[in-house]
Amino acid sequence: MVIFLVPAFLFMGLFLYYPFVMNVYNSFCSIDGLGTAAAGMNQPWYENYKKLFQDPMMATAVKNTLLLMVLTIIFQVGVALLLALMVDHIRAGTQFFRTVYFFPIVISATALGLLFNLIFLYDGGMVNQLLQMLGSTEVIDWKDETHFLFTMTLPVMWQYVGFYFVILVTGLNNISEELYEAAEIDGAGKLQQVRYITLPLLHNVLCTCLILAITGALKVFDLPWVMMGEGIPMNLSWLTGTYMYHQTFTMGDVDYGSAIAIVIVVLGVVIAQAANKIFKEKDY
Amino acid sequence: MKIKKAAALVLAVSLCGTMFGCQNSSQPAASSQAASAQSAQVSSAAAQPVEITVVTSYGGDDGNRGNYEAAVKDYEKATGNTVKDASGTSNEEWKAKIMADFETGAEPDVLFYFNGVDSNKLVQGGKVVGVDEIRQTYPEYAGNMKDELLGASPVDGKNYSVPVNGYWEGLYVNKKVLSDCGVSVPDSNYTWDQFLKDCEAIKAKGYTPIACSLQEVPHYWFEYTIFNHDTIATHAKVPASSTDERGKAWVDGMNDMKTLYEKGYFPKNTLTATDAETFQLMADDKAAFAIDGSWKIGWFQQNAKDIKDFAVTYVPAENERKATDLIGGISMGYYITKKAWSDPAKQKACVQFVEAMTADDVVAKFGATNVTALKKPMPTPDGADALVQSALQMVNGKTGLAPAAQDNLNQAARTALFAGIKDIVAGKQDAGKVIDQSLAIKG
Repeated sequence: MVIFLVPAFLFMGLFLYYPFVMNVYNSFCSIDGLGTAAAGMNQPWYENYKKLFQDPMMATAVKNTLLLMVLTIIFQVGVALLLALMVDHIRAGTQFFRTVYFFPIVISATALGLLFNLIFLYDGGMVNQLLQMLGSTEVIDWKDETHFLFTMTLPVMWQYVGFYFVILVTGLNNISEELYEAAEIDGAGKLQQVRYITLPLLHNVLCTCLILAITGALKVFDLPWVMMGEGIPMNLSWLTGTYMYHQTFTMGDVDYGSAIAIVIVVLGVVIAQAANKIFKEKDY
Repeated sequence: MKIKKAAALVLAVSLCGTMFGCQNSSQPAASSQAASAQSAQVSSAAAQPVEITVVTSYGGDDGNRGNYEAAVKDYEKATGNTVKDASGTSNEEWKAKIMADFETGAEPDVLFYFNGVDSNKLVQGGKVVGVDEIRQTYPEYAGNMKDELLGASPVDGKNYSVPVNGYWEGLYVNKKVLSDCGVSVPDSNYTWDQFLKDCEAIKAKGYTPIACSLQEVPHYWFEYTIFNHDTIATHAKVPASSTDERGKAWVDGMNDMKTLYEKGYFPKNTLTATDAETFQLMADDKAAFAIDGSWKIGWFQQNAKDIKDFAVTYVPAENERKATDLIGGISMGYYITKKAWSDPAKQKACVQFVEAMTADDVVAKFGATNVTALKKPMPTPDGADALVQSALQMVNGKTGLAPAAQDNLNQAARTALFAGIKDIVAGKQDAGKVIDQSLAIKG
């Protein structure tokens, strides 16, 4: 049986673990272009790791990524749970709402980014036009220092709500109807049924969603890059992923980009472990 | 068991045979034989139509996109070859992507790219073929051009690229907006002080004086504001630090941009907008001035409600610079990559492509208002619209031409410098500090 596991193991070794080890090595070298040979080790060899702690944009990127993680838990999983509970309580149209809420997942993030760019456009954008129709005289720059966080996170939240919604609806369908009928006979109201039957029995599914959401937040790249490329505004919107891309591909600082990649991996492993411990699945 | 052994023996013998066969075929031959063999390979392979990959800056909303597509079609029709076009819009990201393609072995066959320090890595890495080397096999290559104007590489002074058209940078104006504000179209005596007064009048009328995204493309304003504190002879030289003579000019120029920003002459969202967003203000008659290159003419031709409402003229001057001193030159050309040159099937197709794209009649279409490297004088275009005529008038009235200073910075330094401009104008960074940090980046 072990022999059947070897091809996948080799594949993972070649395309994941070997590049990862090389990435660790590269983070100690001096490389000023993709594919360019290293010009020796950095002096001192830990230069990039020292730079990580001195770089204000890296601090912004980590802070924004952690913030995005919190927002993901609240708005992606939270809203998905709310929608799932409501859809679970309606008789007709369940399939319709499932499709509608899931739909953003199938659209490419780049297309969504362009779409939201038009929605939040300063001059003639949809939101500003609506506000003007409602009597507002002020034109809002949705990407300025006051509004950028909302503009950047809203599409990200909106895109993935449907994903968790589908998982949670599936979890809800696995809860036996008999439990609700028994609770109803005992006089439990709808809210009490949710509190004492649905949420406890959905615990494991919710844990899976939360772990997926937390680790997923670390990998968010495409939508913010399309909408907030190059840290708009004033280098305030960097995420660890977008900042790594910027350093590697735009600045050509491959070794520093490698060091940022290590930070992303370390953050991912630590946070995933913590999340696994906090949201431990229960045996029923 | 016997059958298995026999099969193993047969396989082993065949494998050894194959290996020896490979060894024999890879024995080094005499160089002349190899050259003639390669030549024969090229001529036999070139008989078959091939697909070549081409990357140029004639993508997106480039004004010459239409001319480029037409020229490519003509080439395909004449040769039977096909062109896989992967052109984009020239900006720092585009340049970085091209470099990454070369570094990862995914380079195109033909590249239309900058011939300044941006191409140093390509030349140093032997990634592109020199014009002289190409002429050894194709003596007529770039024969219609003046060699001294091809745009020699800063690395070794040799020619690697063949240019189509040179460029200039000028002040595009929306005449309709100016007229509504009671401001005259700037002429050859336009001064910086007059420009500031004009901007104030335009702003008072509710228009945006300057269409520019300081977040994305501050390049042209940077170039002219530092030129205003410099001379034609020294403009293109990169300072050693912000405190030397050249560095001071850069600091003063960037502080002029800060003044314009503080006075509210740029769009309100200039620190967050894209270049496309701010330029749209010109087409929508909401902004008065924009500095951009000769390539932007086509954008106005496509987007202006009435092309007669637009003109291009001299950028306001201060200090020693005359308004008629322009930023311009020949900064880009077609390169044939080493990879394509070494491929017998593609070599001739690439040479034919560059020859087709740099023929006299094609250059005339692309660079109607530009400086070119052609040996023959370029004809004045028939039926030139108001904008093209104003451009011709501007170019003909120039008193000097200086190449862009930014072309002599390496890509990483340039990216850092331009990324720092938004911090300078917003008062978050000192111009000198941004310049020194950028100059410290070695490409």
